[in-house]
Amino acid sequence: MAQLSNKVTKKSDFMKELQDDIFKVISDPVFQSVYEVYDRISQSMRSYLTDETDFLEFKPPLIGPVTDPGTRGAKQTEIDFYGKDYKFMSSAILYKQLLAISRQEAGFPGRIYFFADNLRMEPLETANTDRHLAEFIQVDLEIVDADHFDAMEIAEGLVRQVYKDMTESQELLTPIWDRFRDSWPERGLAPRKELKVPTKPFKRYEFSEAVGLLQSHIDEHPDVIPEIESRFGIKANDLRPDMELAWEYEWLLSSLHDEPFFIHDYPRGARGFYDREYDDKPGYLMDFDLIFPHGYGEAISGAAREFDHRRVIPRMKESGESLQKYKWYLSFLQQHGRPTAGFGIGLERTVRYFCGLPKIMMALPYPKVPGVFSP
Amino acid sequence: MSTDYPFEEIIERARKGRDAIYPYKDEISRFSVFGADLHTQSRRFHTLDDILITAPQFTPHRLEKAYDLVFREPFFRDVDLTREIGGFKTKLPIVQSSMGSPEDWNAVAPYSAKVCAKKGMIYGIGENVAATWGYDERTDPSQPCLMDRILSYFEHKIDGYGGVVIQQNEEDAQNELWNRIYSDKRLTPYIEEGLIAFEIKGGQGAKSGIGGEKIVDRDTALRLQDKGYIIHPDPQEVDQSVYERHSAADIFTEEILKNRILKLRNDYPRVRIWLKTGPYRDLLSVIRVATEAGIDAVSIDGKEGGTGMSPTAALQHLGLPTLACLNAVRDARAEGIETSIIISGRIHDGSQIVKALALGADAAAMGRPFLIAANAYPLSKLFIGKEFYKFKWIKKLARMIYPPSERSEKLIENFLETVELEIQLLISSLGKYDLSLVSDEDIAATSIGLAQAMNLKHLYGGFSSSGNIDRPLIQPLDQLE
Repeated sequence: MAQLSNKVTKKSDFMKELQDDIFKVISDPVFQSVYEVYDRISQSMRSYLTDETDFLEFKPPLIGPVTDPGTRGAKQTEIDFYGKDYKFMSSAILYKQLLAISRQEAGFPGRIYFFADNLRMEPLETANTDRHLAEFIQVDLEIVDADHFDAMEIAEGLVRQVYKDMTESQELLTPIWDRFRDSWPERGLAPRKELKVPTKPFKRYEFSEAVGLLQSHIDEHPDVIPEIESRFGIKANDLRPDMELAWEYEWLLSSLHDEPFFIHDYPRGARGFYDREYDDKPGYLMDFDLIFPHGYGEAISGAAREFDHRRVIPRMKESGESLQKYKWYLSFLQQHGRPTAGFGIGLERTVRYFCGLPKIMMALPYPKVPGVFSP
Repeated sequence: MSTDYPFEEIIERARKGRDAIYPYKDEISRFSVFGADLHTQSRRFHTLDDILITAPQFTPHRLEKAYDLVFREPFFRDVDLTREIGGFKTKLPIVQSSMGSPEDWNAVAPYSAKVCAKKGMIYGIGENVAATWGYDERTDPSQPCLMDRILSYFEHKIDGYGGVVIQQNEEDAQNELWNRIYSDKRLTPYIEEGLIAFEIKGGQGAKSGIGGEKIVDRDTALRLQDKGYIIHPDPQEVDQSVYERHSAADIFTEEILKNRILKLRNDYPRVRIWLKTGPYRDLLSVIRVATEAGIDAVSIDGKEGGTGMSPTAALQHLGLPTLACLNAVRDARAEGIETSIIISGRIHDGSQIVKALALGADAAAMGRPFLIAANAYPLSKLFIGKEFYKFKWIKKLARMIYPPSERSEKLIENFLETVELEIQLLISSLGKYDLSLVSDEDIAATSIGLAQAMNLKHLYGGFSSSGNIDRPLIQPLDQLE
């Protein structure tokens, strides 16, 4: 395994190791430390949510008649449930909205979370992003009578808590960092010496600001695009002010920062029908992402939700959705709809960031990377 | 004494019930070739036949072309038919319409794919193919699946030309067809090269504003009922071999269309996004909204097109004729809209395509001609398009004698060659050798009413060197014969 350290950045080598002798990879002490970090981060998040901020953890549904349709380009997985087509959760977003409101209406704090297993058959091009898995855990929460800024407060607190707990685990992190340090530059990850708890509040960019920042950076450094293309082996997408940031630009923005930051107010085409549109800023959504710095990219996606069925239905039609499938959800909104907001944080992405892993597939013993066939 | 009171029609309705209003219920594809006749039975609207192509004596472009060719007279073969349409380069201004799952078409569709690929043409795949015949595994061993069509195209594609346009309907969407295609390893290189488009279906010629209609067997009926389709009669209560399947018309507003396009762009950044729309009275707005949202191409189906399983009432009375749709295209061009626009609806020869180009379309799409050509075996003239051909045993017999085969490929090729030749001949007659030079100066309307309504030259008056009408039209709008 020692000889792996310098070659690990070559995707094929690590994948080959996994496919050839998975036991050897998993039993490597460095990877065992990674799995321990995974456990500590999970505990850190649970303690922040349950003990400090009044959230109740629910077991999420694994399958259901519908799942989150807003996962771009990723295919859902069908399961034959006694003759009916059910979907494996790509995210349980609709279910958590209902749960949070039900809890509030029953007289408890309307704050709930899942450690949710998600399955997304991401397009193959994401195999090169170093940060997409087909199977991953999302810590998914929802807050009643809140908007996206309230959710960002929670996100900030949660992430800072993990930072605090992990700075106390620096002894666990250092050997992992040492293993991968050499491969950081090649994967576009900035060097780090030790973990520092980021200052509060995190920087916040409106989406249009973020695009402007990127555009001026690209104008000043035109080489950055061909560099991205050769580094990740892709053809860069256009940078457009009316579309979701392609992950390569998210990476670029991330690499220009050394503390986590928010991007909020994405254009409407960019997200699922459940992200609420501003009443006074049509075309923009009350949503946000939290981006890890140093080139690690997106950790959190969140938003205030649409809760009026008369606003949700046209949004569903924009996605070409059939209303029929969502009857239960639309009826719930009609009768109990009220403002909620929430987000999901990718657990493996968080582990990757804190461990300084070149690839997200290293965060798990049995990673599922789009198009890669390993146990 | 004779009367024109529709005794027969009422008797037919009384005896057959709902079956009487779907004339092509039994044989969706081959028999519906018939559909085109309905509007000629009692002709109430203009068609491309009411426009003629008018060649000039003086041909400065021909002179220019002689210089370009380094000093020889240009021939019709020198007419360059290549152009860019909806993000693709194509060698012909012809698109094979996105035709879907009907059995007769499906059987020959991969042959057509091969021909289109070899010809450098854009190839369309309609709805419901994967849901009916399988994505990459055939649900019926004798019938090609979706991937058979797609791979047949890409295996024969010539460098630098062509592309595949793929629709998904509600059932495909439930199976996430586009997601599946977008993440299919086999197609990744073609997606990377920008050779695939997803086509939003906003309408179909002969039944604009009416949802999908299809005949399905009992198993399918039970399955689809579960997915929210309307099935008639209710298969839970009535046991029969086939049922009507109705799907709801999709819901659009300007806002919904715009955002659907933006969302697709966002979800599938590496494919082209096309819109297929129908003969709607607000077509100009549709083109505007789609353009604003950054659509790659708008494909418009006039009422004479898309006749598969359409109710007679719709075939006869619903929607704008192809020529009227082209007038909306003219309006869009007049506003400076440059979006790729494709027109379809009973287009089947080169002259109609040249006229459509002169009216501002970038290409014409054809569906039925491919289907008929593919089945043009010896003696087929005796049965294709004939009423008795609806009987299943005749069709079975014909298919036994002439099973779908490589011959279809040659037949489609022959057909296309004639259209290509006509286009070249007619454009060269205008003294032009470049598609983009063809314009409304090259055509004239046979009636004054049409000339006025479409702001075209009238055949019998008003030829000017500028191509505009040079004397006032004082006659009232003429009566359409």
